[in-house]
Amino acid sequence: MPDLLNEALAPAGLLFSIDNQDRVFITKGIRVVTALPPGFFNSGPATVKQAEQKDTVRDFHTELTRQRQEASENRLYEVGPRTNTLKGNAIVSGVVRNGKTGEPLINASVFISSAHAAVTDAYGQYSLTVPTGKHTLTIMAIGMKDTRLPLMVYGDGKFNIDIAEQVITLKEVVVSAQKSSNVMQVQMGVERLSVENIRRVPSLFGEADVLRVITTLPGVKTVGEASTGFNVRGGSADQNLILFNDATIYNPSHFFGMFSAFNPELVKDIELYKSSIPARLGGRLASVLDINSREGNKKTITGSAGIGAITSRINLEGPITKDRTSFIFGGRSTYANWLLDLLPDEYKNSRASFQDINLGISHQVDSFNTIYLNGYFSNDRFSLNSDTTYGYSNRNVNIKWKKSFTNKLTGIFVAGFDEYQYKVISEENKVNAFRLQFKVQQLFAKANFTYYRNQQHSFDFGAGALRYGLDPGSFTPSGSESQVMPEKVEREQGLESHLYLSHRFNPSNKISFNTGLRYVVYNFLGPKTVSYYAPGLPRSEDNVTDVKEYASGKFIKTYHAPEFRFSVRYALTNTFSVKAGYNSMRQYIHMLSNTTAIAPTDIWKLSDANIKPQRGDQVSLGFYKNLKSNTIETSVEVYYKRIKDYLDYAPGANLVMNQAIEREVVNTRGKAYGAELMIKKPGGKLNGWISYTYSRVLLQSTGEDAAPQVNNGKFYPANYDKPHDVTVMATFRVNHRFSLSLNSTYSTGRPITLPIGRYYYAGSPRVLYSDRNQYRIPDYMRTDFSMNIEGNHKVHQKTHNSWTIGVYNMLGRRNPYSVYFISEGGAINGYRLSIFGSAIPFINYNIRF
Amino acid sequence: MRNNKIIWLCLLAGLILSSCRDRYEPDIDAAVTSYLVAEGILNTNGPTTIRLSRSTQLDTFLLRPETSASLVVEGRDNSARPLLNMGDGRFYSPDLNLSMGEEYRVKISSQGYDYVSEYVQAVVTPEVDSISWKLEDEGLRIYANTHDPSGNTRYYRWEYEETWEVRAYYYASYIYLPDGTVRERIMPAEEVYQGWKYNNSTSILTATSAKLQTDIISEAPLTFIPPRDEKLAVRYSILVRQYALDKKGYAFYQMMKRNTESLGTVFDPQPTDIRGNITCVTDPSIPVIGYIGANSITEKRIFINRSQLPAWGFRQTCQDYEVMNHPDSINLAFGGGGLEPYDAVFSEFNPDIIVKYKASGPICVDVRRRGASLTRPVYW
Repeated sequence: MPDLLNEALAPAGLLFSIDNQDRVFITKGIRVVTALPPGFFNSGPATVKQAEQKDTVRDFHTELTRQRQEASENRLYEVGPRTNTLKGNAIVSGVVRNGKTGEPLINASVFISSAHAAVTDAYGQYSLTVPTGKHTLTIMAIGMKDTRLPLMVYGDGKFNIDIAEQVITLKEVVVSAQKSSNVMQVQMGVERLSVENIRRVPSLFGEADVLRVITTLPGVKTVGEASTGFNVRGGSADQNLILFNDATIYNPSHFFGMFSAFNPELVKDIELYKSSIPARLGGRLASVLDINSREGNKKTITGSAGIGAITSRINLEGPITKDRTSFIFGGRSTYANWLLDLLPDEYKNSRASFQDINLGISHQVDSFNTIYLNGYFSNDRFSLNSDTTYGYSNRNVNIKWKKSFTNKLTGIFVAGFDEYQYKVISEENKVNAFRLQFKVQQLFAKANFTYYRNQQHSFDFGAGALRYGLDPGSFTPSGSESQVMPEKVEREQGLESHLYLSHRFNPSNKISFNTGLRYVVYNFLGPKTVSYYAPGLPRSEDNVTDVKEYASGKFIKTYHAPEFRFSVRYALTNTFSVKAGYNSMRQYIHMLSNTTAIAPTDIWKLSDANIKPQRGDQVSLGFYKNLKSNTIETSVEVYYKRIKDYLDYAPGANLVMNQAIEREVVNTRGKAYGAELMIKKPGGKLNGWISYTYSRVLLQSTGEDAAPQVNNGKFYPANYDKPHDVTVMATFRVNHRFSLSLNSTYSTGRPITLPIGRYYYAGSPRVLYSDRNQYRIPDYMRTDFSMNIEGNHKVHQKTHNSWTIGVYNMLGRRNPYSVYFISEGGAINGYRLSIFGSAIPFINYNIRF
Repeated sequence: MRNNKIIWLCLLAGLILSSCRDRYEPDIDAAVTSYLVAEGILNTNGPTTIRLSRSTQLDTFLLRPETSASLVVEGRDNSARPLLNMGDGRFYSPDLNLSMGEEYRVKISSQGYDYVSEYVQAVVTPEVDSISWKLEDEGLRIYANTHDPSGNTRYYRWEYEETWEVRAYYYASYIYLPDGTVRERIMPAEEVYQGWKYNNSTSILTATSAKLQTDIISEAPLTFIPPRDEKLAVRYSILVRQYALDKKGYAFYQMMKRNTESLGTVFDPQPTDIRGNITCVTDPSIPVIGYIGANSITEKRIFINRSQLPAWGFRQTCQDYEVMNHPDSINLAFGGGGLEPYDAVFSEFNPDIIVKYKASGPICVDVRRRGASLTRPVYW
């Protein structure tokens, strides 16, 4: 009947409706509504009906997702079961995605007004409390078209949004997503950078480098020129937790530390937490660096390739099943040997190579469940003009399941395996040929939940466990003639389990709190032989009181303690806020090093019966002011930090293949304080930032158990104590195809132990050194410059290409990396060693398809 | 493509021109450091010499001997053996008559402060099995080989003395005298053709078999003679002295070596304060440098003849001159002209008349000008 009527009446422009008594009304222009909307009388049974209708809403959205149509601004979207009784607030949640690739968008702003705004999380998920009724929902994200959608909210519901990529037209478009986020966020000491920011920074050999960009931020200092190690607010390099898609990366560098181990083509964004570390993260004292890679394109197969002077790379991504499953693959390899051949003769026989491979698969089961699989592999091999070959590699794999239980509750479950190992092989002398190996493995599982109650309250909670296994060293003969006695340092096992709860509370627009508690239990596990030492006496062979054998799985030593995270934000005006925070952290795995850089041969050590976990806490205060309608962000942050049970090496410590490493370290306490100033202009033709950091970090041997004390127990500056640091990072976009970038940095030279006298011994004059770290190497200054030239911007063409040309260390300044003195043929000669002795030009070609 | 090439060339130039090492003179206050330095071992089978000195400021190049000290070797058996002050910072005993297995230490008293070394056990040093050598990068590397069948030694240290013969390019039969005359040399008293040069080790040479199943040291490198060096021009000899070390002594030398011979590359450890086995009893916070062990000394000497190295290309460039036998010419050439006569050319007509002298630079005529001593060593 309706079909027939439709066919008959439609050409005439007539409308019809049929009521519940089968009466037909034919009208012109307006259709007669024959029934009242459900719930009109607000009766009991209607609620049951609502529940049913939720399902239909859900179907509607699944369908929408499947079609992956970019949201149209011309139609009205409805959320919640249709009703005439609009009452109170409703929660709208969902995922914001790129309509072209299906990739979730992080940090997209979703709002109807400043009071009702949300930012998407790492999975593109948002949750927004809005009054029911008709609104205009605005979505802004970097690189995406600003989207305004008419939205009718009837009640709680799910609303996934696909938005269109911004095709850059010749007209200037101002993207203003997150403009005021630095003022409005509760967290402080958090730095977020997208890969676009990273690309703009001129880098060595034109390789966009995630970690090098990090070191241009306030409060972050580089360990040294040829090193991607970094120090955050007076923390040592091993006090940074580096997570790459939830995988812990123990050695984040390649090629003597000149490149970071992260393929810039796959990185989506990075977040560095310097003070307000979320309660879900922990295990390191100074910072957490969270690196996320992109999800593969869910629509079509695309890729890119790049050629540089040292490395080349290829990336491929695309759907496995369209709109549901996608993959992303990236690989890099090097051909640096030609470069080493050019080095002075003393490095003539050096060899180096590295590779890394990333693989990510994401599968959307339905609109509530998504599964991600991540794999990462990196490998380095080099020999520095000797017969000794060094090699190290990271291997990581994990699986993640994201489930939306309800609009308000989301859960993420991750399980995975991480491994880092290194090898030293020497085979020239047949009798002494050896192979030295070291390995850290960890197996982890964790569950994180986010419960969004309403605009005022939301909660994060979860639990997890991390099982460590360390092979601190095995020394084995290499070849049949080798006389080397096989030796193995006993394996170490530990279990770190945690529970956490954090609460975000926004009583009003002006003030908000973030309170977190994390409880960690750490067990050092057998099998292991443990030496116990007489209390109050130095830990040495002579003072061993007992040696105990522990069976497999036995709890040898347990440490447990709560960690606190607290931060508060008070907005004095819309553009000015004050934030304060306190956090405490513990660390159960320590890197022991008596070299300046993260050397590939550094030893990691678990806390055990003799080595206590490191403890640290920090108070910080910050002021944030945005100027000129949020186009300029300024901030001042100050902090004070205490570090306890930090391990510094004892004078003359031997850390490799040491069966009793507790005898080689000295218990140290430290204090760190500083101020960080930043002025940032995120957008516009000329953009960039200027940052200044003042920071100090001082250490002191505690002299616990009458151990030897460094500098007789006085406070001494840590190796990475560099009080002043200024960075200027500027990009000028001449037009859409051509931009210039300049990066300039100055910092105080790092502390060094200098020779202060000489004496004669063994037939040669020799140098007498000062107390540890009493002097400084000359100040560091460097300026880099780069040009980015893009090919044409036609959207529909097979390949897009771009060139990066620039100069690293443009002024050719010989910045001393280190200063050293050697006795050569009876004379003492002082040398300063600079890694880059001149300006280094570079060129890089990239192609996308 | 052409652009590409230019940029690659730029990169090349950038790398080649960059020498990453520059001389560095630190600008530091003249810190007052005057720590006692003690070096030597208590020899169980021969003379013992302990050297005392003071550390100096960095720009002071002279050794500052500690002359006004008194040293006593004390044994666990309450024995005391004073050392003789030689006056130049050396303290000497021809034979301490120490007993193997007993523990000894040195007590030093100087400038109102008392110092003692830790007790160390007198041990036997195994014999040097051989001193071997190999051609390497056209130079010559010399190695020590030893082993201890009992497996107790494990840590070794070496010192060496090199001796090599040098010969003048020209055989000098004539001599220019300060009075302006030239005469025939009186042989062999005035012979300056053949000489010997000496050199002592200046590096810390240690090795350990601690990580090997057997106590064998195979090819521990001692020294390297660069290609075409004068040392192998005629004949070369090296005397290697071997010292047994204990673990602590080995650690001390390793640390000193690390601090003063190999620091500064990216992965090298940072300098550390050197602590030996001597402490200042009067004020324990005063640092003392030195490690005193007690052991026997074994030694081995080898010779390497030029004939064993046919390809060794030592070359001296010498120019031949002729000087007329006339007082003015002689005075001009030999008195201040930087030449020395070595032979004479006689008149064709009268073999008693010297027409002219053959001459060359002193370095080509007189080996002493090359730093050699004319005295033939007893072992040569």
